[in-house]
Amino acid sequence: MNLPEPQSKPQPTKGQRSRKMREAIQAYAFLLPGTLILFVFSLLPIGYALYISMHKWRVKRGDFIGMENYLKALGNPIDVLFVLLGLGLLAGSWMVWRKITAGTPTKILAWRIGLAFMLIFGGFALFLGFPKMLADGDKDLFESLLITFYYSLGTVPFQVGLSFLLANILFQDIKGKSAWRIIYFLPYVTVTVASAAVWQSIFDPTKGLVNIGLAGLGFNPDTLPRWLFEAEGVVTLIGNWIGVEVPEWAGGPSLALISVIIYNIWTYVGYNTVIYLSGLGNIPHSLYEAAEIDGANRWEILRKITIPLVSPTTYFLVMMGILGTFRAFNSIYVMTRVAGPVGAPQGTTMTASMLIWKNFWNGNRFGYASALAFVLTGVMLSLNWIQNRISEGRAFYG
Amino acid sequence: MADLTTPLKSSRHYIARDILVKAALYLILVIGAVIAIIPFLWMIQTSFKTYGEHSTRTWWPAGLSLTPYQGRPATQEIVIPMQSAEGWRNIPRSFNPALEGKITINQVSRYVADRLAEKDFSIPFDVLILATDTTDDGIVNYDSYRLTVDSRIVEQFTTRIDGNEMGGPNFNALSVRGRWGPHIQVSNPDPENFTVKVTWSIWRMLFNNFIYAWKDANFAVFMFNSFKITAITIVGVVVTSTLAAYAFARMDFPLKNLIFTGYLATYMIPGAVVLIPNYLIIVGLETFFTETLGIANAWYDNWTALTIPFMINAFSVFLLRQFFAQIPDELYDASLIDGCGHLRFLSQVVVPLSKAPIMSIVIFNGIWAWNQLQWPLIVTSTERWRPVTVGLTSFISEASAETQLIMAGSVITTIPILVLYFFTQKTFTEGIATTGLKG
Repeated sequence: MNLPEPQSKPQPTKGQRSRKMREAIQAYAFLLPGTLILFVFSLLPIGYALYISMHKWRVKRGDFIGMENYLKALGNPIDVLFVLLGLGLLAGSWMVWRKITAGTPTKILAWRIGLAFMLIFGGFALFLGFPKMLADGDKDLFESLLITFYYSLGTVPFQVGLSFLLANILFQDIKGKSAWRIIYFLPYVTVTVASAAVWQSIFDPTKGLVNIGLAGLGFNPDTLPRWLFEAEGVVTLIGNWIGVEVPEWAGGPSLALISVIIYNIWTYVGYNTVIYLSGLGNIPHSLYEAAEIDGANRWEILRKITIPLVSPTTYFLVMMGILGTFRAFNSIYVMTRVAGPVGAPQGTTMTASMLIWKNFWNGNRFGYASALAFVLTGVMLSLNWIQNRISEGRAFYG
Repeated sequence: MADLTTPLKSSRHYIARDILVKAALYLILVIGAVIAIIPFLWMIQTSFKTYGEHSTRTWWPAGLSLTPYQGRPATQEIVIPMQSAEGWRNIPRSFNPALEGKITINQVSRYVADRLAEKDFSIPFDVLILATDTTDDGIVNYDSYRLTVDSRIVEQFTTRIDGNEMGGPNFNALSVRGRWGPHIQVSNPDPENFTVKVTWSIWRMLFNNFIYAWKDANFAVFMFNSFKITAITIVGVVVTSTLAAYAFARMDFPLKNLIFTGYLATYMIPGAVVLIPNYLIIVGLETFFTETLGIANAWYDNWTALTIPFMINAFSVFLLRQFFAQIPDELYDASLIDGCGHLRFLSQVVVPLSKAPIMSIVIFNGIWAWNQLQWPLIVTSTERWRPVTVGLTSFISEASAETQLIMAGSVITTIPILVLYFFTQKTFTEGIATTGLKG
């Protein structure tokens, strides 16, 4: 049964309306300074950057050239389209593949497996446009993306793994917890430029701490690694050391990049540990107690409770780590300066953000650098998207 | 029999295993802590070394031991026989000394003399004192004394022989920057009875590199600039984001949600994209101010460009809004009855209640502003507003081989942040741990 409609809302009186108006005006006044700054230095620049990237722009604005800067970076648009389509299909096939496991009837299962295979092959076929894209596009860009990829791959797993280990230890019954935490957090709070300068001197080939230590361990002082000055790939170096010829394409990241990676890990392990600690603290204690009553050992508790329940933190840290390596500027800029111009030695530490800097500041190619920045943003967004897909259903958001 | 002893054994075994596990855990923690701390120790230790000590990989800097201080002679006055100098090597003409005198190293520095003897150094090492006539009027009134007492060279003699090199006796000799050398002042400039006062400054013996970085490498200016930039940014951020957060949390106005979404969206904007347009915006503002208003450097190479773009960020607004929204409505109603407007309610009730979130905003933005490198690199061109990060970066190339000076610069740069960290340690780590996840 319907209750009679209550009396419609009383119309606001004139006084109330003017008070509302006054409040609105006051609110806008409160918002004015912040909004103005955000508009001028955050929102406006995006459109402006797009505008710049469509011009030939070397310090002063030149001709309008449309998408030419992007084409110069990525190569033929059809190649790009093919590669993107290929990647999309591969992602789609992967998603179909994942659905398969969830107990489906045989008929649909067969159909789905077929679909997945088709998608995989289609994806690979299209992905074959990739070499062509590499050939037509800006070699520097793809090389810098590869270097950034090495940088992420060398940094993030170690950073996250080590901090997980440390956080789990600190979560035990350990004395002086806050003292340990203060110490581990120190590298993160230090001014980046200063700590990068310190590590640059630690990696010094003749006077640095690392090589002094290696010489002390009995290595031949004449053949010690040259760290930040070494452009040769690590795989090649190890190959030379044990006497194996390594082909050029398998050289891996340069030793200089490895030095930067070590610095990066040193900086972020403590930060990640602190975040992991708060993640561990959020796990309900009753779960551990229940597991103990059920007779689970440490290893089982770790695998079945801690790791799944702390996975949102892991996901967050992995994402932040990867985005951080894409953004990293200060540390690489300061550390590699000793070995020469941007990206030294021989461009082997030229990550994507350094490449943008080189084009912008050293090359004065504002238009092209802006286009590169957008391309990089695209790469970052798609990485973020892929990670979101992967973590979906795995991360436990308690 | 075996059955009887098993429980005892196993419990012992258990305890032993527990102790082993504990020991292993502590071992891992200690290794981690050592790795985290070693670079700091290296930085501090190196910053106390001399050039020679660093390049010969001496483990412990003599400055941090007692020997040089104990062997230091008392303050003394030495009369030097002066002779006229006839053009002196490759120093520019205007700086040519008119008089030349010598004191031997034995007279002024027992410590250095001993080190020389120890190292079997056979070249006679003299300290030259050159009086220069800079007035060029033919009358000898010496107003500038070139004191080439850079006995750092003594520590360095194995690596540096050429006197004109940086660190050599002729380089930068006007300022007495010798570490193990004494401080020498001319107390009587009369050529007949030329007297110098020789004193030993423990301060300089210990902190020579820091003094050099602070004074000669202009870290004093850079640090002051960084303090100013950070302070202005913090004040700006606190004011703008408190106002904005209050409007979002407690006021009602049209398009509120849209504007708030806009604020949050700026959080996603990548820095690489906006860097170039922002630079061009600053350049544009600069041209506008110079050409139409006649004010040069209103933006470029000034605090405005360094701070104003960072005077608000979505993170701070969001953090404060969350906090302001929790303040009970009754408080506002009560103050409304007392005749308070929004502004007075904000300043007299809300802000005093929100000391904790405002404090974390101050800390985060402060650290962030202090760490800035890329932006000040492109919008400063002189030392007028150059922050310490940029100063240290260029100092690294200037002093390239003199690592001990770079390390001293790094210590100076880091100290304020570390002090802040130790004092606000709890807010700091907890703030990062809780806000980091939600931001």
